[in-house]
Amino acid sequence: MIVKLPNPVDYAVPFFVLLILVEMIWARRNAPEKYEPRDTLTSLGFGLGSTITGALTAGLVATLFYWAYPFRLFDIGWAWWAWIACFIIDDLAYYVFHRSAHRVRWFWASHVNHHSSQHYNLSTALRQSWTGFIAFGFIFRLPLVFLGFHPAMVFFSGAINLIYQFWIHTEAVKRFPAWFEYVMNTPSHHRVHHATNPRYLDSNYAGTFIIWDRLFGTFVAENDDEKIRYGIVKQLGTFNLLYSVFHEWIGIAKDVWSAPWRHKMGYIWRPPGWSHDGSRDTSDSIKARWRARQENPPTPAE
Amino acid sequence: MEGALGEIAKVAASLAAILFLAWVARQMKLGGDIRIRDEVHARQLADEVLCGYEPVDIALDKAGIGALLRDAQGRQMVLRRHGAHFAGRILDRSTESRLDQNFLTIGTSDRQFGKVTLNLGDKAQIWAAGLRRIAA
Repeated sequence: MIVKLPNPVDYAVPFFVLLILVEMIWARRNAPEKYEPRDTLTSLGFGLGSTITGALTAGLVATLFYWAYPFRLFDIGWAWWAWIACFIIDDLAYYVFHRSAHRVRWFWASHVNHHSSQHYNLSTALRQSWTGFIAFGFIFRLPLVFLGFHPAMVFFSGAINLIYQFWIHTEAVKRFPAWFEYVMNTPSHHRVHHATNPRYLDSNYAGTFIIWDRLFGTFVAENDDEKIRYGIVKQLGTFNLLYSVFHEWIGIAKDVWSAPWRHKMGYIWRPPGWSHDGSRDTSDSIKARWRARQENPPTPAE
Repeated sequence: MEGALGEIAKVAASLAAILFLAWVARQMKLGGDIRIRDEVHARQLADEVLCGYEPVDIALDKAGIGALLRDAQGRQMVLRRHGAHFAGRILDRSTESRLDQNFLTIGTSDRQFGKVTLNLGDKAQIWAAGLRRIAA
């Protein structure tokens, strides 16, 4: 049975706009460099394009989810606790998706869009991918349907999760009380996730609950003594929207084309930055080099 | 049909909101005017571009909008301003350079990164020669 629930994101968008305005006023007073008009325009262009591509592909994803629903293991139904369980399990599914999106280049090619700004503000939250469907990101939520959660409930939970993640993209908020920081994903935790500082790479994948990172060993706390740098390890250096959207897909195509046959697939499923001749940097190699320098700092030139 | 019109209206409203926010950001003069302050700053930026990169030679643009650096392994890096931040690239054989008195224009193999023209003063000729050696 097809159930049509309202899309919470539609109702949240006016508040997104309002909060971005408020943060811009904060930035003007405290740190004008936290926003850059061209970067903001690019981020918001990402958001609009993502909404359009999402609407165009939503029908296909819904068809798949409704096809899967009759094969469910349990009849979970619509009880109040089912909503809570769905949200929590969906958040776990998001963690798995997000971790994969940083460790498998095919998924990264889509997710990199969200990280490609050197700024970290509320407009960055709207820098969403146009190519999520091609990257098969929706596959990670499908197990919830097989488990017995109604597709409409899964989509609704995903939307609430997305809305939650909006407000944590800010430098205007420092820390919350310890109990909140322990359980919930917060601006502090998510700043770490967006950082390119070697100590922070590949950490804090949580959507709503940071407990998943604590549980699976990917949690890193923000260090107030180290200034965070945002973006990707090879900064784009352009505000060109189309290039920003497709650059990693272009990179994959070029690499697969030019690689020897036995290494072609490696450029798709291995971590971002992997190369068959070891000539490029992955987050692992950057972290290893950084750790080595921490243990044996270079001696200053005479 | 009604649903499609609703979706189009949402997209139009979103587009209007985007243009409004970008206009506000411009009116507020957000972004600032960031420059490379000195060699220490250039070193820090170079390490951000490539973790562990330790320049042994640095040429700063006179206005601080970019820099050229070389490390002990002979790897040369160009830094340039990108909005309110900096971005950089290690220069390779595809690097193009053009010298015009004190001004050195550098184009990397990454076309999207664009070209950068640096005022390096009397160091420009020496660095231009260095770049020609990479391309050779």
